[in-house]
Amino acid sequence: MNWKTTITVVALALPNLARADSRWVLESSTLTYHISHPLHQVDGISHDARGKGTCHAGQCDFLIAAPVKSFDSGDSNRDLHMLQVTRGGQYPMVTVRTRLPESASSLSSVTADLDIEFAGQKVPYKQVAFQRSTDGARSRITGTVPCTVADFKIDPPSLLTVPIKNEMPIRVDMTWRTE
Amino acid sequence: MKTVTTHLLILFCLSALVIQMPSLAFADEAAANSSSPATESAPSLQDLGFSQAQTQGNAQDQATLDKRSHMLKIHQRWGLATTAPLIATLLLAPGGKSNSSARSLHGGLGIITAGMYFTTASYAIRAPKIPGTKEKGPIRLHKALAWIHGPGMIVTPILGAMADEQRNAGQKVHGIASAHGAVGGITIAAYLASILAVSIKF
Repeated sequence: MNWKTTITVVALALPNLARADSRWVLESSTLTYHISHPLHQVDGISHDARGKGTCHAGQCDFLIAAPVKSFDSGDSNRDLHMLQVTRGGQYPMVTVRTRLPESASSLSSVTADLDIEFAGQKVPYKQVAFQRSTDGARSRITGTVPCTVADFKIDPPSLLTVPIKNEMPIRVDMTWRTE
Repeated sequence: MKTVTTHLLILFCLSALVIQMPSLAFADEAAANSSSPATESAPSLQDLGFSQAQTQGNAQDQATLDKRSHMLKIHQRWGLATTAPLIATLLLAPGGKSNSSARSLHGGLGIITAGMYFTTASYAIRAPKIPGTKEKGPIRLHKALAWIHGPGMIVTPILGAMADEQRNAGQKVHGIASAHGAVGGITIAAYLASILAVSIKF
């Protein structure tokens, strides 16, 4: 066996070994919920989410979590009401779990099944579409999760006795990097 | 020796490929089905670096939030209801040549307004404060305006009573009592602005 053969064989084997396990870390994020009321359109924004993804055997498990109280709508009184109606004292975190094939890291659009735990409820969302773009070792994921107030059994807050609309889409903009 | 090395290397490569095979097949299947979340190897909240205090709920905190919201809802309802006697008091304000019964009606409505106003205010004042909250947004203007309509709601009836006394004595309203109308007007304006501050986005 000559050196060329040895190098070829080793070169073939190494990527398979290197792919055994990889990890993703959420570098930065902007999560925005939107609620509508005849008198107000409100966006509550959090930059405090943390996330990790661990890949094993071609599958990656992701967990993203943010404190409920980290969402800022620009009105501290409204934020405290939001914290109350979403039972943020008792359930202080919103968590999102998903599982994706490792091969998804090379796609420009990804559909994911999400398990969202919020306000004491665990709600599955199927086939949520996200867009993915790459900047070097970083992946940027954007999309909107079509949540509703009723999904999480939240008593819709009202202003001047008029309740907010049921739709509560959550815009997601996350930048991930591999470890 | 060379042949043995070659065979060992090929075996090593094949075994590495075989190890990857099931996972590749599973990955393809998962890609087709868009898999379901959560497995044993999935990260936990502790892995994300959140402390126990951050992730664990507290029934006492929730009870405080519930109490606060409940009291502020009552504050809101009473505040809206108070606008009815407030505006009625303004509309039925007797002019310079008013009779005693018109002044009594105006005064009576004023007393009802003041009573409802202080009931409204008491719910906001007694609502539990949430530690660590930095106030921002329209609530700041809402609270700032209370420093105008609050004292106004105390002073206006006093000035009204003084004016009524002077009129009953057959005098023309004079001195500080003559400011009753102006103080009342400013109080009503501040009160309505306070409602609008938390109702309309600007």
